[in-house]
Parts: sequence; C-alpha cells; structure tokens
Amino acid sequence: MPIEFTEDRVECRDLVGVAEAEELLEWLQCWPAAQVDLLGCTHLHPATLQVLLAAGTRVAAWPEDASLRAWLETILKGAAKREEDDRDGEEHSPR
Amino acid sequence: MTPLLEQFLSEARDALQGIGERLIQLEETPDDPAVINELFRLVHTLKGNSGLFDFPEMTRVLHAGEDLLDAVREGRLSYSHALADQLLDAADFVGILCDEAELEGGVKASHGADAVRLAEALRALVSGPAASPEAAGGAGAPSDGRGGSSAPGAAAGQTELPLAAVPHAIRLDAWQRARDGEALHWLSYVPAADCFFQGDDPFFTARQVPGVLWGRVVVREPWPGLSELDAYRCALSFEVLAAGPVEELDSHFRYVADQVRVRAVDPGWLVASQEGAPPGATVTRAVASPGLLAEERVALESIFAAQRRILELDDHPPWERGRIEAVAGVLIHCCEATGDSTSRGAIEAALEQTLALGNCAPLLAWLDRRTVVAPEAALPTPAAKVASAAARPAKPEEGPRFGRRTEDQAGASHLKVDKVKVDRLMNLIGEMIVSKNALPYLAQRAEVQYGVRDLARELTAQYAVINRIAEEMQDAIMQVRMMPVSMVFQRFHRLVRDLSHKLGKEVQLVLEGEETEADKNIIESLADPLIHIVRNSLDHGLESSEVRLACGKPAAGVLTLRATHEADRVRIDVLDDGRGIDVGTLKRKARDKGLIDQATFDRMTDREALNLVFEAGLSTAAVVSDVSGRGVGMDVVRTAVEHLNGTVFLESEVGRGTRISITVPLSMAVTQVMIVESDGQLFGVPIDHVVETVRVPRAALRMIKHSQTTALRGRIVPLRALNDWLNIPAEPRVNEDDELAVLMVRVGREVLGLVLDEFRETVDVIQKPLSGVLAGLSAYSGSALLGDGSVLMVLDPKEIV
Repeated sequence: MPIEFTEDRVECRDLVGVAEAEELLEWLQCWPAAQVDLLGCTHLHPATLQVLLAAGTRVAAWPEDASLRAWLETILKGAAKREEDDRDGEEHSPR
Repeated sequence: MTPLLEQFLSEARDALQGIGERLIQLEETPDDPAVINELFRLVHTLKGNSGLFDFPEMTRVLHAGEDLLDAVREGRLSYSHALADQLLDAADFVGILCDEAELEGGVKASHGADAVRLAEALRALVSGPAASPEAAGGAGAPSDGRGGSSAPGAAAGQTELPLAAVPHAIRLDAWQRARDGEALHWLSYVPAADCFFQGDDPFFTARQVPGVLWGRVVVREPWPGLSELDAYRCALSFEVLAAGPVEELDSHFRYVADQVRVRAVDPGWLVASQEGAPPGATVTRAVASPGLLAEERVALESIFAAQRRILELDDHPPWERGRIEAVAGVLIHCCEATGDSTSRGAIEAALEQTLALGNCAPLLAWLDRRTVVAPEAALPTPAAKVASAAARPAKPEEGPRFGRRTEDQAGASHLKVDKVKVDRLMNLIGEMIVSKNALPYLAQRAEVQYGVRDLARELTAQYAVINRIAEEMQDAIMQVRMMPVSMVFQRFHRLVRDLSHKLGKEVQLVLEGEETEADKNIIESLADPLIHIVRNSLDHGLESSEVRLACGKPAAGVLTLRATHEADRVRIDVLDDGRGIDVGTLKRKARDKGLIDQATFDRMTDREALNLVFEAGLSTAAVVSDVSGRGVGMDVVRTAVEHLNGTVFLESEVGRGTRISITVPLSMAVTQVMIVESDGQLFGVPIDHVVETVRVPRAALRMIKHSQTTALRGRIVPLRALNDWLNIPAEPRVNEDDELAVLMVRVGREVLGLVLDEFRETVDVIQKPLSGVLAGLSAYSGSALLGDGSVLMVLDPKEIV
C-alpha cells in the first residue's frame, strides 16, 4: 500500500497513484486535522495532490526526493504556513 | 519501415485522395448524405488507423475533422466553402505528415503547433467562433488559439510572466545558461479537466519536462469543501521554467500540445524580475550589456568593419555592383537582427545613391553616421528583440498554409493494381513459357526433317535467350504476387489471446519467419487450415496451467508458428509443447469408428497411425467444445492443403507436444511435370510426386495376393500399371533388356510404382483444371498445352490409391 493511515497522520510512500485519491479524500473528511508524511514518497498523482491541497493538510515530513520536494514546497508549504499565521494571529491578539 | 506502417501510408494516401474527391463532389451536391457519410467514414478510418502509430499530430487533426464531419452528417452544420477549404487544408497537412513518415519513418513533434492550430480551426467551425475556445482544449485549456510551440508573437505577453516567483538562485542559473547560448522557455500547462480519465498524470509530465529548472503547481480556482470535491477532476495547472531547445519541449508535450503554452523567456527579464520592478529598458541594458551583448557587439562591429573595408576597395571589378548590393544586404540584415528595423530605409536609400553615383560614398557615410550612434543605439532592448521576434513570420494571423501544388506531390512508390491485371500478366507469361517450348521442337525439325543444321543451331541459341528472359519475367511477375506469411500470422495474436482466455489456459505465441514469402493465393488459402490447426492445438494440445505444472512444465504453453523456405516450397510448422497425441487411443478410436479394420489396426506403424487424425470423423478430444473437437477440422485441413498441391504431416510425442508441418509450393502458376508415355499416349505426372525412375526386370516382379510388387533396395513396393488404371487394353511395353519402366511416385507418405512404357522429358506447364464434361474425370488433375500444340493430360497420383 503506498498510503497508510495512522491516528493523526497519513504516510505516503513510493509512488502514490490515482486510485489512492478517493480513499485519502474520505479519510481526510473524517480527520481534517491530520498531517501528511511524505518522507518516502517519490511521486504523487495530481488527483491525490489536489486532495491534500483542498484539505489544507499540513506536511509533517517533506519528501527525501529533492525534485518532488521543490515542487511541493511551493504550494503545500504555503497552505501549512497560512494556517500557522492564522493561529499566530489569534495568539497575539488579546482582544 | 515496418510493413504495418507501409500499409498504413498506402491506405492513408488512398483515403486522402478519396477525401479530396468527396469534398470536390460536395461542391456540386452539398446535401448528398451518401457523399457526406462516405467522407466521414474515410476520415474516421484514417483517424483510427493513425492512432496505431506515434503520430499524435495527425490523430489530433483527423479527430477534429471527424467531429466536424459528424456535425455535418447530423445536420447540425451545413456544408460551406470555408468548411471544405479547412478540411482540404487538414488533408494536405496529413499528406505532409505521411510524406515525412515515409521518408524518415516518423513524424517530428515540431508539427504540434500546426496541428493544434488546424484542429482548433476545424473545431471553431463546429461550435461557431464564440464557443471555439471551450471546444478547443477540453475545459479550461488556454484559449488564445495558440497552444503549441513558441508560435509567432508568443513572447509578447512576457510582462505577465510571474518570473518573480522563481527563486533568486534559479534565476541566476537560468541567466547563466542563457548566456551560454541555451534557450529559456516558460511553460504553462493547463491539463484538461478530464485528463485523469485518459490515464494522464500531468504532474509527472511537468516534472519530466526536459531541461526543467524550476516548476510549480498552480491551483486554478478556490477549493470547494471536501465533501464537494471531485478528486478526479483536474483543478491544477503547472508552470515550468526550462532551458533547452523548443523542439524538445514540443516533443515532450506532443500528446497534449493543445494544453500547453510555451513562451520564450528573454534572459533580461529574469534580471529585471530580480530588481522587483517592472522591467524598464535602462535596467535591462545596464545589466545585460556587459554579458552576452558585449560579445554580440564585438561581432557586429567586426562585420561592419569588414563591410567598410569592402566599400573602401578601389579595384572596380566588373562585379562591383553585385558586391555593393551584397554589402547593403549584410548591413540591413545586421541591423534587423539586432532589432533595428528603422535603418533599412536609410541603407536602401544610400545603396541607390551609391549605385547611381558609381562610388561608395553614400554607404560609407551611412556607416560613419551609424558608428557615431553606436554602440548604445545598436544595443537591442528586450522590447525591440521581442518585437523583432514577433515580426519575423510574415503574417502571423494567417498561419501557414498546407496547400500542396499537384506537382509537389511525389509519385507514390506503391501502385495499387487490380488483381485481375496481375492474373492476366501471369497467364500471359505462362503462355509465353509454353510457346517458347515450341522452339526446341522447331530446331529438331529443322535438323531432322529439312537437314539444315546451321538453322537448327541458331534456333537453339535463340531459344536459350528467350528462355532466360521468359524465366526472369516469370520470376518478376511472381514477385509481384508474393506476400509475406505475416499477413496470415498476424491474426493469430488475437485468436490465441481470445481462445486461451476462453479456455483458461496460459499460452505464449511465438511467430518465426514471418517475412517468408509465397504467392498471394497460397498465403490466403493457408489461413483457414492454419486457424483449424491452431484451434486444435489450443484446445486439445496444450494443457491447463495446473496440469502443466503438475507435469513439471512451465505454466504457460508455447505455441510456435514457423515459416521457412524449402527449395521452391514453403513449409509452415505449428508446434505446441502440450500433451501430444496418444497413438494407442487414436488407433482404437479409428477402429471403433470403422475407419480402419482390425488388420490395418495391427499392421499400422505409429507414424501412419498419427496421421489418422486427418481422416474425416476422428477427434482425439474426449468432449466436443465450441472451439473444436467435432472431428471435422483436420480432414478439412488436409483437403485444403492438398488442394494447394501441398502436403500435411503430423508428428507427436506423448507429453512432449505435437508438430504439424504443412508444405505448399511457392506458387501454383507453373507446374513442373514429367512426361511419360503409355500405349502411345503422353501423360504428365507432377514432379512433386515423382521419387525416381527405375527399370525393373520383368523377372523381379512378384505377385502378392492379387497385386504386383517388386523389391527395390530391400523394400517391397506395390506396382500398378498405368494402362490398368486408365482402362487402356494394352500390356506395358518392355525394352530390349526385358525391363519395365517404373515411375516411383509418392502419394501421401507412401511410395508406389507406376508401370508404363517410356519416360520422357520434364517440362514447365500451366495447368488448367478440367472443365465441362471432363470435370468428372478423377484420374486427372488437369490439362496443359505443350510446345508443339498438343494437349497433355496431367495425372493425379492421389487417385491411384
């Protein structure tokens, strides 16, 4: 299985294909706060990728594959960061 | 070139011609549904066929054409001249691709842009100009009417390129590469929304872009809630900065050329983006001039200096005028190449003056003036460069035309000839061969009857020449009719796949010697017998995987079809490594069914018994399936093969497999026969059946029961007198040594002696089947005309037994 679900985390390994998108989508609907571990991932099918994007899933571990990481960082990091910023904003505004 | 491609090209040409003809026909009868249907069918077939090859450009255009014609066919659109023009244009484009495929064995990806443009033009006709973008690239594709390569004017929108998003280090790297002469391109790849269903992985495609420096994923629209999200509708697009020739990009994206927009990136813009300001000319020039442009300027200056030296020459040769014109040409081109399009007028004016005055002062004066302004003005600004790039193709809005003049079209290398014409040639050469056989008779008569020896010798010499030419001619005509056995073998891939699936067996099909050639008729007639044999092998021969594994064989059975040349015959072997045939069972079955009697049963060798499978009504299969097993197959095979003057033979070993060998002549047109004489009449015996000619002393004849036999080299051979067989009331003649002439003929696997009066020569004849009242005569396989005009009856030795 290229994807494996644990309590609060989904781990993607090797080549995550088109078939996994549906499963991931269903799972993320139940666990919206889950994070994704891409460490061993070499390629994500865009269907899967757009599920992660739409869910705003935070990346717990970036892929070792440098090329994939570079691609994903431009888009996935943004999503994670915005969330962080939002939270920061809340914390720093005592009003 | 593969035979498949060859066939495709030949068919494509016919189809294109047909398309052209139908379109012209439609000009006269625009509403004829038959013509429109035919047109649609042609385009549809051609499109389907083109999909077999790596010609996405061709398929794309044909697909658009098909859609357009479908609309016409259904009456959603009416025929118009514009429509015909567009279709003819597309047909010409396909023709060009065919030419290229024929010359180079493939189609270059650089046609991608043209293909996209043509396809979009065709689709625009279907949906009307307003709706065309939507139809053009599936949902959401770039709709600027220019998908493919760095099409004219593609660089114009560069200000919109989000180059600032590219990290600094990568921009620097890109700039360095540009300095080293590499081209930079910005790709926007907007995949069709349904691309996942076509098996595309656009992300992978984007990651694999040749020369990719940087890329990013872009989300096209805000995401809906997860519950509404359709994961299989592509909502991503990709942007890539790549270094390398545009051809590589075209080729990488050739299957999705309509979804990709490639724009050339000026290195200056990379730097400008670095400044974080809208790139003004000053910024670019300041940064750019010390690099690449400095080298360019040096080259430019040296060119101008050389022109000056030429103009300053005072040798006044007769070709001075041409030299001056050349100099002016160089100056104009240099200026234009560096983005200075305003100097052209000045240079042309100076040239005119120079030519009128007869001295070079005006041109030199222009050079002086230019030098004053240089170097700054000669430096092209990015904008000027962009403009010049955009201006290069003459009229970008028109696009290239694909109209080919009739005289441009190379003569087709293949001729399609009616089969009847080839048959006629075949008959004529046959008659020619027979008539040339008359010359030796003539020579003989000249010598024997009229005693003119010299004439006889000359006739014989002439005969040799005509003989040689006739034989070459026959060979050439035979070549025309030759076809590789692959024509028949090809269909077995499918047959074996389907059947083995149905039977639940694993079968590997091996084809060997597919290029072996034989006459078209022979090849075509072999198809049915081979299908019978292959079905039999699959059904009865090969075991299921479990049985095979239990026997220690690999799970997948191997079925081999092998064709080889054997002298002037073709041999086709069908081998399987299945269970083989159990001779004992077969013999018992044959006896039980009354095909052989007990005596034969006891006497029969295993080899003979195996070939009982070719008897009608015998099947080795325990059950009758819908694949085979009714016991009709193999006797049909034998009849068909014998009809081709061929033989079929079976060998089998229990547990090891079965081999069925078919041998057929290369061609049926000319038969070699041996002429024999009996009771003063001449008969022909096909040389294929003749084993040898022997003289048997009458004393060596033995009667065994009621048949005559003789012992030949330790073997008993049954004899039969030809006169007996044909009901000629005469005894066989003996020669002075009291010997009988015996012709050993092979019938199936048996050898039999035919007793006759005299052996004569062998001749090539064209055998004609007996017709009319004679058709019922079973002893003869046909008749032939001899060189001296007499008719030769050709015996059918199979009927003797």
